[in-house]
Amino acid sequence: MKLYRRQVLGLTVAAPFALALRPARAAARADVSRQVLLTWHKLILELVRHTATYMPPVAARGFAYIGIIAHEALTTGSPALRSLAGQLTDLTPLPAREAGQFDEPCVLHAALEMAVHELFVNTGPTGQRAMLKMAGMMGKTASDGMATEVVDRSIAHGRAVAAHILAWAATDGGAVIENLGFPRDYTPGTRPRDWVPTSAIRMQQAPLLPDWGRNRPFAMPDTVALDAPPPPTYGEDPASAFYGFVNEVYETGRNLTDAQKLIARFWSDDAMLTPTPAGHWISIVMQIAERDALPVEKIASTFAKLGVAQADAFISCWSTKLKYNLLRPVTYIKRHIDKAWEPLLITPPFPEYTSGHSCQSGAASAVLTAIFGEDFAFDDATHEDEGLPVRSFPSFNAAAEEAAISRLYGGIHYRFSNEIGLEQGRAVAVHAVALQTEA
Amino acid sequence: MRALVLSLALAAPALAEPLVPAFTDESKTAGLATVFQGEWDYMVGGGVATFDCSGDGFPEIFLSGGAGPSALYLNRSAQAGALAFEKTDAVTLDAVLGAYPLDIDSDGVLDLVVLRQGENKLLRGLGNCRFEEANEAWGFDGGDAWSTAFAAIWEKGQDWPTLAIGNYIDRKEEAFPWGSCTDNWLHRPGSGPDGQRFAAPLALTPSFCALSMLFTDWNRSGHPSLRVSNDREYYKGGQEQMWHLEPGQPPRLFTEKDDGWKRLRIWGMGIASADVNLDGYPDYFLTSMADNKLQVLKDTASAKPDYADIAFKSGVTAHRPYTGDDLNPSTAWHAQFADVNNDGLQDLFVAKGNVDQMPDFAAQDPNNLLLAAGDGTFVEAGDRAGVASMAVSRGAQLVDLNLDGKLDLVVQNRWTGPEIWRQTGEAGAWLEVRLAQEGINRDAIGAVVEIKRGAAVERHEIASGGGHASGSVGWLHFGLGMADRAELRVIWPDGTEGDWQELPGHSFHILRRGAQPAAWTSG
Repeated sequence: MKLYRRQVLGLTVAAPFALALRPARAAARADVSRQVLLTWHKLILELVRHTATYMPPVAARGFAYIGIIAHEALTTGSPALRSLAGQLTDLTPLPAREAGQFDEPCVLHAALEMAVHELFVNTGPTGQRAMLKMAGMMGKTASDGMATEVVDRSIAHGRAVAAHILAWAATDGGAVIENLGFPRDYTPGTRPRDWVPTSAIRMQQAPLLPDWGRNRPFAMPDTVALDAPPPPTYGEDPASAFYGFVNEVYETGRNLTDAQKLIARFWSDDAMLTPTPAGHWISIVMQIAERDALPVEKIASTFAKLGVAQADAFISCWSTKLKYNLLRPVTYIKRHIDKAWEPLLITPPFPEYTSGHSCQSGAASAVLTAIFGEDFAFDDATHEDEGLPVRSFPSFNAAAEEAAISRLYGGIHYRFSNEIGLEQGRAVAVHAVALQTEA
Repeated sequence: MRALVLSLALAAPALAEPLVPAFTDESKTAGLATVFQGEWDYMVGGGVATFDCSGDGFPEIFLSGGAGPSALYLNRSAQAGALAFEKTDAVTLDAVLGAYPLDIDSDGVLDLVVLRQGENKLLRGLGNCRFEEANEAWGFDGGDAWSTAFAAIWEKGQDWPTLAIGNYIDRKEEAFPWGSCTDNWLHRPGSGPDGQRFAAPLALTPSFCALSMLFTDWNRSGHPSLRVSNDREYYKGGQEQMWHLEPGQPPRLFTEKDDGWKRLRIWGMGIASADVNLDGYPDYFLTSMADNKLQVLKDTASAKPDYADIAFKSGVTAHRPYTGDDLNPSTAWHAQFADVNNDGLQDLFVAKGNVDQMPDFAAQDPNNLLLAAGDGTFVEAGDRAGVASMAVSRGAQLVDLNLDGKLDLVVQNRWTGPEIWRQTGEAGAWLEVRLAQEGINRDAIGAVVEIKRGAAVERHEIASGGGHASGSVGWLHFGLGMADRAELRVIWPDGTEGDWQELPGHSFHILRRGAQPAAWTSG
């Protein structure tokens, strides 16, 4: 079935070139486009890790816009593809192509170059240097052997597509991140159940990105409507259900197996140390794209839908987090169970409920299952460079569920936050799944 | 009136407001002009070395020049007078990131270890501030890397030092430099056919882009270990490190499983060490971006290298500018503990400066001068002391440049050149000593000076290394507050404990092993 879909897509995408390019030439150019898309994303994963403002919700937003830009850049040249304009909130129709021949790799490269430059304008000198190098390398790859006028026309159009979407992005409420996302002033809540800062890091004495839940969503119609239900009633009585959930975190943490530690670290996906949870799922798609030699159109549309789902999941989750403002397990455990207890993972600096990784993993798995199928097995080597072994999964849902339970093993989330977070993400993803990327 | 104020301040070191020292900016008149130049491949480094190579007791200054030439400046200051330096052509190497003085061949003349982009250089001191390259003669393989960290120790039984050199990114990696950290090296003593004294370097694998290294006897075992602070921006799978270094054995990494080492991942850029909490064990200030760390051993009896970060509660996170309009997070480089106001408490200087046009971090990032309040906390005083420079700082040294008993400050900045401040205000009593021993390791690197602070004993490790590409050999400075004398002793590098000595304040003394302290006067 998958092969059939690829064949159909390949034929439909090649059609617009039939007048200008022979099929073999068109296929070769499609391969170049694919190389451009994946190589830029390889750099983007690094830039997410190495740009200080790219906290997990910010990273998801960035992946969404880059995916949309890639998809739209290709869509303007292919009647087989359908624009997301009119499907995504407030996205207006993209600039049409002027008359004349275009080269898809050059269009795509130019769009990505501009997107990356704008979205990672704050990255450090090494990132800036790498972007310049990549722009030169991919520009040469894309334009090699092409007529100058075609290259120039294509670059101009790619930039126009990117500029249109970046102008839209600038109005979503998440474009400007100050102080690495931490408010400079914050007064913690005073109820026993309220979140309080958990680290001795001075920068992190306020919750990360407290207004993120108010950002304009991409595909979900109403952030509040997709809110999670309230968490279990807070209680300090050892007989209470809440105490039981906390005690599960405590006892699990005290008795972690090596396998559980590995799972916790595999899905830790810390900001500024990894490509973040959203980047982890993008990395999974990149690996599948390489393994299965997916066509560029499918990779781009997958990036777009996945990015949209993850970005919306973070918006939804953050709305929930700040609404319920629930304390982290380490706070409760140190107050009521064991002053000396420490979780395996670093507790993230924002309220607990619902689990952000669970929420966006639920969303990611829903989108990818809709695209690739229920029992789509894959290997995940995202953290091989970090010394963590490759993990194998029978399905996207299995991976998402492992990501969710990893937060319990890591000592940073209660079981209910993981489970409800998964459901919250899956509900959000319904709207990303419904996006039409093919005509 | 000033004396009364000073007396009150020094009589009560536990008060929250310590005496703020006064510095006078003499950058325009002192004669220093070497700029740390260069672009991406000089974004780290910018070290300062201070040491007396003229034999007059006054420390000279070596400034790294990055892509431009470096320079050695002779100290022409009069005692207690204005700071004055004369540029020499003794060391004009380019591609220099930092330097550390060290009497490598134990001939009583300080040599210089020069860290570079490309081949590192060992410069043998010839006396009168003349130097010659000694890589070949000493069998030292200078390599070809981006060298950014240094530490030295004489291992037990060795008559030649062990040098640790930290290396940074593979500078040939342009599009994907992340994860390209190159190996650090351990140059141990060896014996070559032509009298070379260094063996081929051992790779300290894994290496994670070291920006500071320090040999330290963290657990008072008598066997210093090598702490390495690494820049997480570039490593993959990395963390802060510490290496066992046992005589005759290959270096062995401390691990979570075998040693209880706790994983910490920061933008490690500099290490400063001092016995801040007077528990007899060295504490470590690690510079980074945004929050910095102050680590103290959780349990000195456990023999586990498990540290608590007390930066927040001590008031030394130094995570963002404390003056000016820029509220973005800070970027910290060289750090150094020293008693700047001579009140008997270890203060902390931190050099700050943006990496290069990183808008998420402060562009106007003042250096910190954090004064110990006596209750375990520190109070920021850089602006009030007059050293809150907004230049893009990197390396530095707090050192008594005019031998008046008060610490002065020299800072190397990126692109705009060095700044130098003379301490000109009131301060408490002081004592300065130099260690000396015959035979090998003349400056007693690896020794410990213990000084009594009331009922407590404050320990000072005598180290070569740490900071950010910046090192010093020379007078060891102790503030005494209102005391007119100090009681101290030396534990020599081989563990031999010297006698407790009572020395008068406001004096310089040479502490020669096996001899009575000898008073020293200038001229």
